[in-house]
Amino acid sequence: MKTILKKLLPYKIKIIFSLILLTVATACDLLLPTLMSDIVDKGIYLSDIDYIVRNCIYMLVVSLAGFGTVILGRKLSAEVVAGFCCDLRRMVFAKVNTMTFGEISELGTAALVTRSTHDTETLGWVASMLCSGIITIPALFIGGVALSLSKDVLLSAVFLCFVPVMFAVVCFIGKKIEPLWQDADVYIDKQNDIMRERLHGIRVIRAFGNEEKEHGRMVKAIQAMTKNIIRSNVSMGIISPLSLLLFNLSVVIIAYLGAVRMESGENAVSAGDIFAIIQYVTLVMNSVMSAAFVFVAAPQAKVAADRIGEVLCAEGIDDKIPAEDTEFSGDVIFDHVTFKYEGAAEPAVSDISFHIKPGQKVSVIGGTGSGKSTLVSLMLCFRMPTEGAVIYDGRSTDSLSHQTVRNNISCVLQQSSIYSGTIRDNILMGKPDATDEEIRAAAKVAQLSDFVDTLDGGYDYELNQAGKNLSGGQKQRLSIARAVVKNAPIYIFDDSFSALDFLTEKNLRTELSEKAAGRTQIVITQRVTSAMGSDVIFVMDKGRIVDSGTHSELLGRCRIYQEIYASQTGGASK
Amino acid sequence: MKNDSKRRLNIISRIFREAKPIWGWLVFSCFLSFLQIILGVLAPKILGNTVQILYDYWAGELITDNLAGTVVRNLIPLAFIYVGMSASDYAIMYLLNNVVSRYYTCNVRIRISEKIKHLPVKFIDSTPVGEILRRLMDDVSQMGSSIHTVIETIFPVFLQMALIIGIMFFESWQLAIVVLLLTPLSVFLSSKISSASEKYFTKMFEESGKLNSVVEESYSNYATTKAYNWESETLRRHEEINLRQRDAEVKASFISSAVRPCITLINALVYIAINLIGGWLIIGGKASVGTVVTMVLFARQISAPLESVAEVLSEVQRATAASERVFSLLDYEEEKPDFGTFGENEILGDVRFEHVDFSYDKDKPLIRNLNLDIKHGQNVAIVGPTGAGKTTIVNLLMRFYDPDGGKITIDGRDICEISREEVRGLFGMVLQDTWLFGGTVAENVAYGKPEATREEIVKACEEAYCDHFIRTFPQGYDTVIGEDTTNISGGQKQLLTIARALLANHRLLILDEATSNVDTRTEILIQNAMDKLMAGKTCFVIAHRLSTIVDSDIILVIDNGQIVETGKHEELLAKKGFYYRIYTSQYAV
Repeated sequence: MKTILKKLLPYKIKIIFSLILLTVATACDLLLPTLMSDIVDKGIYLSDIDYIVRNCIYMLVVSLAGFGTVILGRKLSAEVVAGFCCDLRRMVFAKVNTMTFGEISELGTAALVTRSTHDTETLGWVASMLCSGIITIPALFIGGVALSLSKDVLLSAVFLCFVPVMFAVVCFIGKKIEPLWQDADVYIDKQNDIMRERLHGIRVIRAFGNEEKEHGRMVKAIQAMTKNIIRSNVSMGIISPLSLLLFNLSVVIIAYLGAVRMESGENAVSAGDIFAIIQYVTLVMNSVMSAAFVFVAAPQAKVAADRIGEVLCAEGIDDKIPAEDTEFSGDVIFDHVTFKYEGAAEPAVSDISFHIKPGQKVSVIGGTGSGKSTLVSLMLCFRMPTEGAVIYDGRSTDSLSHQTVRNNISCVLQQSSIYSGTIRDNILMGKPDATDEEIRAAAKVAQLSDFVDTLDGGYDYELNQAGKNLSGGQKQRLSIARAVVKNAPIYIFDDSFSALDFLTEKNLRTELSEKAAGRTQIVITQRVTSAMGSDVIFVMDKGRIVDSGTHSELLGRCRIYQEIYASQTGGASK
Repeated sequence: MKNDSKRRLNIISRIFREAKPIWGWLVFSCFLSFLQIILGVLAPKILGNTVQILYDYWAGELITDNLAGTVVRNLIPLAFIYVGMSASDYAIMYLLNNVVSRYYTCNVRIRISEKIKHLPVKFIDSTPVGEILRRLMDDVSQMGSSIHTVIETIFPVFLQMALIIGIMFFESWQLAIVVLLLTPLSVFLSSKISSASEKYFTKMFEESGKLNSVVEESYSNYATTKAYNWESETLRRHEEINLRQRDAEVKASFISSAVRPCITLINALVYIAINLIGGWLIIGGKASVGTVVTMVLFARQISAPLESVAEVLSEVQRATAASERVFSLLDYEEEKPDFGTFGENEILGDVRFEHVDFSYDKDKPLIRNLNLDIKHGQNVAIVGPTGAGKTTIVNLLMRFYDPDGGKITIDGRDICEISREEVRGLFGMVLQDTWLFGGTVAENVAYGKPEATREEIVKACEEAYCDHFIRTFPQGYDTVIGEDTTNISGGQKQLLTIARALLANHRLLILDEATSNVDTRTEILIQNAMDKLMAGKTCFVIAHRLSTIVDSDIILVIDNGQIVETGKHEELLAKKGFYYRIYTSQYAV
């Protein structure tokens, strides 16, 4: 919470000014009823038309001053709040972008998205309350109480008794409703989940003739949600009539006591005073209501602030080594590399050693969880080895800038990453200054050009977020085109052909070998057909390389390789 | 423009027509709000009278030895009125919430769910899930809240204004005119300002939506961004939108925050005017102090309802947009009901395609004049590149889509003459895209045969090799799983759907073989289970395995949505055509 509040410091001058302006505005608001009662008391009672006119002019001046100050104050506070939110969003986003993969996976992508969007919004909302509403609450409260005390102590005491009652009522109900709101999210999610499930599974459901049953589940979820909505709305809805009643009853009591006091002959209280006090009651009660709401909302804000604080306090990547313009030859050595994920009992890969020479075509094959993708993370410096070293051209990654390493690798990761923008933008990521010919050539290698030609706008076709308007295979080929246009000394494909049919894959690999002649190619795969043509195949099992060799060598001697081969070709003859 | 407003009016009237079951309650709520407003008008009047009494007493114009008593005679009814106001306020809120939520929004949601049952698969394929969910949740809520607001606001507001204006004229016509001239000014101003700020709010929400997309995209593509040293570009894109959002936010929140000060200012002007004129009237003996006080209170009351009218109008606008989306879903053309049946005869499973034409899009014909003759018990392998349209055959067989020309027959009967339900009931299905719903393992397996006993379920699971891993789950067969369950692997899901198909035991089968993301051992299990499942049935297999393809009775080779070759494995190899190329690319070293 503190770290977050510090981010308001750059705005201190604006905050102070807006505070002063808003305080003046509040004072003006408070003066109005007094002037009003004075006009009634002194002007009308004494039939002093001059007094009335004079006070009306005062009132006009005060209202104009109030208007001016409040407008200026709001302008400043809007700038502060929007600026603060903007800073916060920038800081969180920038911080996440420098986090290590360990930190990212510990917090989880979904949680990080929530923190960068929803939580910053919550804080922005609190900041705007602070800068507008809350700041004036104490001023309104103290001012209102002071003024009414100056009119009459006893009558003021009456409504002051109502203050804690009102505060307690709002807080109590607020606290009671909070869990209901949280439940509401659960019910809404449940309803939406069932609907989503149903739409996704429409074929299976209809195949089994189970639409009626799904509809039944849906109806139940809808009814449960409705009940919850009614409950929380009804509990919430009592606040307004109840507080109104309290406020109105205090007015009645004040009027009565005023009459009693007046009758007792002490001329301490005038009719105008009573009228003014009734007006002050409104001010004070309103401020109490807002304060109570803030009180209810505060824990929520604290949760958001703490969560953002957690992100901002993350250590992040320590890539101190300056980037250099070295071009690698494509020589990769793993020297007894072991890597263990934080908190894991077993290492993900252990004692991996190999030497890949420039221009070699290498495949790594193995089942899920055999540690293949961990090798990719290590090569790209996403993770650093727990033991041993990853060495490029004789230099360990410890002594290289991550940026340098990554500049020398054209990679396609398991999960195709598509960015919103055009097809061209996505390919350009690999080489920002690529010419149109280079883009076309890369798309051709990736077997994408036929598809692009069918699109409206071709390479300028706009992709949706996460490429939702592309099929899995198209996304994969687009990611490959990006890597091809970069044409770095080392190519890494992490299970990147899984959504391609065999013919497309074959054409792609053939054209790639022409385009990337002399470049090192490392293919991570589960498919024997993808590995078969490589110079060397590493077979991985349970985090270790159990054998390596060419396809025919392995087929002759490696049991795991034989098993994989048999399962994928269905044991049919070669 | 005129058509537009006519259409809007139609929608609004439909919202209310559809609320017919709750009309009675709505009228009752209206009655309650009238009551509340009458009380709301009476209260300041009585309070004004009371202050007048005090004032007169203080000025020595009223001489009584029981001032407190006189005042109490006024205050007791006042207290009751206040209680009544709060009570009716609560009652209206309670009623509307219950009635509208329970009998209106809830029903509309159920109707949407009901509608989904009858919508063609085509609609669901072509509509993003998020779009349907938005209609189900947000749009329906908006419809409900618009009814709320209209009942709570529009009707009462007019009555309230009429009453207030009436009483003001009764008290003092001069002051009434002042109030009437000045208050609309504040309403006009505030609605102008709100609509100006609305523009920036829209802009702000737009930018915030874009910013969220950038954030989501960057985080889910984190590794690729890093691998391409793309961080600075991501930050630049983020900052660009971030700044635009900030600027819109400053304008939106500043302009909208100006509404209240403007109203306050105008109210102050009304105050001043009433006081000046009121003072002059009192001194001239034309009005009493109490009248002036009452007028001040009313002047305050009349601006509030006028403000809310402006608010309600924009609410109604949002509601029409929302209901239009909901209605268009509810009105979407349904699958035509069909009642044909195969009768009592047992189905053998002979399938024929006779001159079948089909396309998803009229401009791009997909299947033209397809003829197939499949005898019961035969295996049909469908092979071809990804995205070539292999699932189209499945869509036609299951009547998810109907052919444009020709016919598909099962045991000689045109399936378009048989009810969809019965046709679909003939097929068992195992898709690569495994589908499990949120429920227990046992429920998921028994999905096609809800009456299955636990023994039958366990037996099917044993045959499909899932019994073993199911028993390792904390609650065994009663463990709750779902579409996004993480404690169960892709291969295990596949096995469960095979168990499901085994249990349901249909005459015809549609299978989509797994290609990736399954480890070797599980894959062997899946294949063994599939072999058991296929025994003795007419099968359509989207095939990836060589053995399935080689052993099948007919191979359909599909490319670009067209069936380019059909025949047995050897025949096709001999042709040296497309099939030959696929085969050699896959299996030749």
